Amino acid sequence: MKTTERKPDIPVVAGIQDPMVNGIANGWQVQEATELNDGSVLEADVVIIGTGAGGGTSAEILSAAGLKVLMLEEGPLKSSNDFNMDEREAYRDLYQESAGRMSKDGAMSILQGRCVGGTTVINWTSSFRTPKQTLDFWAREFNVQGLSQEEMAPWFERMEQRLNISDWQVPANENNAVLSRGCTKLGYDWKVIPRNVAGCWNLGYCGTGCPTNAKQSMLVTTIPSALEQQSQLIYSARAERLIIEGNKVLGVDVTALDARYQPSGKRLIVKAPHVIMACGGINGPALLKRSNAPDPNNRVGKRTFLHPVAFNFARFDHTVDPYYGAPQSIYSDHFQWQSVAGAVGYKLEVPPLQPGLASVLLLGHGSDHFNDIAQLPNTHSMIALLRDGFHAQSQGGNVELASDGSPILDYQINDYLWDGFKRAFLTMAEIEFAAGAKAVRASHLDSRWASSWQQAQNDIQQLEFRSNAFTAGSAHVMGGLAMGEDLSQCVVDSNGKYHYLDNLYVFDGSVFPTSIGANPQLSIYGLVARQATLLAQKLKPA
Amino acid sequence: MLTTSRRGFMQLSGGAAAALTLGSSLALMSGCSREPADGLKFLSTDDADFLATLAPVIMAGSYPGQLGPEQARTRQVAALDRLIGTLQEHAQSQLKQLLLVMSSAPLRAAMGAPFANWREASPEQVEAFLLSWRDSSLQLKRMGYASLCKLQTMCWYAMPENYIATGYPGPPQKIPA
Ligand SMILES: Cc1cc2nc3c(=O)[nH]c(=O)nc-3n(C[C@H](O)[C@H](O)[C@H](O)COP(=O)(O)OP(=O)(O)OC[C@H]3O[C@@H](n4cnc5c(N)ncnc54)[C@H](O)[C@@H]3O)c2cc1C
Ligand code: SF4
Repeated sequence: MKTTERKPDIPVVAGIQDPMVNGIANGWQVQEATELNDGSVLEADVVIIGTGAGGGTSAEILSAAGLKVLMLEEGPLKSSNDFNMDEREAYRDLYQESAGRMSKDGAMSILQGRCVGGTTVINWTSSFRTPKQTLDFWAREFNVQGLSQEEMAPWFERMEQRLNISDWQVPANENNAVLSRGCTKLGYDWKVIPRNVAGCWNLGYCGTGCPTNAKQSMLVTTIPSALEQQSQLIYSARAERLIIEGNKVLGVDVTALDARYQPSGKRLIVKAPHVIMACGGINGPALLKRSNAPDPNNRVGKRTFLHPVAFNFARFDHTVDPYYGAPQSIYSDHFQWQSVAGAVGYKLEVPPLQPGLASVLLLGHGSDHFNDIAQLPNTHSMIALLRDGFHAQSQGGNVELASDGSPILDYQINDYLWDGFKRAFLTMAEIEFAAGAKAVRASHLDSRWASSWQQAQNDIQQLEFRSNAFTAGSAHVMGGLAMGEDLSQCVVDSNGKYHYLDNLYVFDGSVFPTSIGANPQLSIYGLVARQATLLAQKLKPA
Repeated sequence: MLTTSRRGFMQLSGGAAAALTLGSSLALMSGCSREPADGLKFLSTDDADFLATLAPVIMAGSYPGQLGPEQARTRQVAALDRLIGTLQEHAQSQLKQLLLVMSSAPLRAAMGAPFANWREASPEQVEAFLLSWRDSSLQLKRMGYASLCKLQTMCWYAMPENYIATGYPGPPQKIPA
């Protein structure tokens, strides 16, 4: 065990104003659901369910068009004054199921946000446009219309400006530098990641809520701007079901949650002529299922994609400090598009390793596990995000309901995906050794530390598929309410309207008919900017 | 070889599956009647004993660390209780079944944990139990193993008192405006 404490040169975070606290003091309409009387009925022109990437973007655009917007958010309101860079508080307050969400058989760990600002409050700020290959695939396979690369370009540009997205200018931290160094040695391409930050302190705590408000999440950008335009925000308010009559949604039946995030017993009703769902993958399909929404081809919840993530670890003979510094600043798409619809492609990045998360990813127990976690400062991790949904053998998961109406995601890792895991383990080990790693290990219970690339290759070839025996994670829940004009596969049209209801729109990541093949936030911002603008034009013709 | 191991597997599956089914019907029957321990919202005294017995084996050299045995146990159990309490129904009910099986002597014996009570199980016995679940051909056991380890290490290593075990210097200091 360490006897001496190392004190790296890390800045003190001080003098940060909290825009939410200030805005509320200046009269923003923000309320906790339990403050309202049981049975209250609220009205607006548009109700938006969920305040993440899709909800925030929608709220800003529709309120700027002069519509009275009401935002509902299941999670609590937390802002920079609350963000202490403490994993325990962050997982409890900002993540779905305290970051313990899993797929039905427990084999996939699923991270999603649950707070005002949604997953954008805890994401790692990587910002990519939807790849052309993906947009073309959607047009071809799902009859998605009007979303070609050329047609989408202005929307991405607009959101890049809005969220201050540009290539990260500061040198990568050592955790990320392993990826660029290794790729350079091996002749694999890599690039610097564009990030949505303004005045970033390079701290590394994007995953626990940015304490400096540098991250341009919805919490500090679009939501404040919507509130400035007289929008209303009700938090700790879970949309329980949509009240549907004929072809219309009449309103939303809301459960007010208490301080422990459990139903308080109070219910609210929100009525609006237009309803936008922006509650993200898994939760969105579950809401429609609870509401018995029309779904003639039984497609709601199908094709839920995760970018299943394979993890590798490497040890260095110098400190990496993988918990400090901008969490993601380098990526490689070398293995992403070798074949669009063939063997699964993957994007390479690195994750930040705060100790709680790292201990889970390292997998296992006892002295081996302790020995691994005790070397955290010298540990690097690489991830491969598998591009699911582009092949007949990758149909994604399906959302089911538990008896209390909460969602269950059934997602199976089959031979097609396992093949991707194995190739990714090999690639990552090769890059890590090329970057100077002393030992490398795949996040699989049967994987030992290998001290050479030769040995790693041997070991990885031997690894066998056993569910629950290797780390398979997801931070990118997408799909479940596929978009397109092909009714046999899709439930939402190319403008985001639900095919079978006249006034229901889905403006979030759940409409993607495949995974994106890149971290999804900018795909959501760009698409939703377009959808919300079209809707605003329809509702408020200039 | 092949036939014996296959038969062995089938017997094990049969017994284990039966135990888990029994566990789930017990869970249904006893549902709310199982009292959470004092100060806890979800875990019963038996559950707490079970989890606290696993903790030193899972966390090995880092447990109880500078917290000392009493504090470590109390803090770890409280953290687990809070985390499990926020899981949604599906994951929570699966954990509830697991905990029920582990708190009933005959059922846990069928699941490879033949102890009169958890407080008396030696670290070697706990280790053998964990390994048998980790390497089981039964998906339910592997899932149980993975869930128990994940929950325990997540709660433990995220505690500031245990940063020292990982060499994590801690987050930047924050001074509120
Ligand atoms: C740890 C982590 C790191 C990530 N890093 C990146 C990254 O670097 N780059 C990137 O592009 N992407 C990243 N992502 C993913 C990205 O942030 C998400 O894909 C994106 O935010 C999803 O947007 P959304 O609008 O679909 O849903 P979300 O942003 O998840 O918003 C949905 C909101 O709806 C709320 N909600 C759900 N159900 C209900 C209900 N019934 N009633 C009321 N409210 C409800 C939720 O609480 C949530 O706040 C990361 C994700 C995670 C978890
Ligand atoms: S790295 Fe930058 S954006 Fe991320 S938490 Fe730190 S200051 Fe905020």
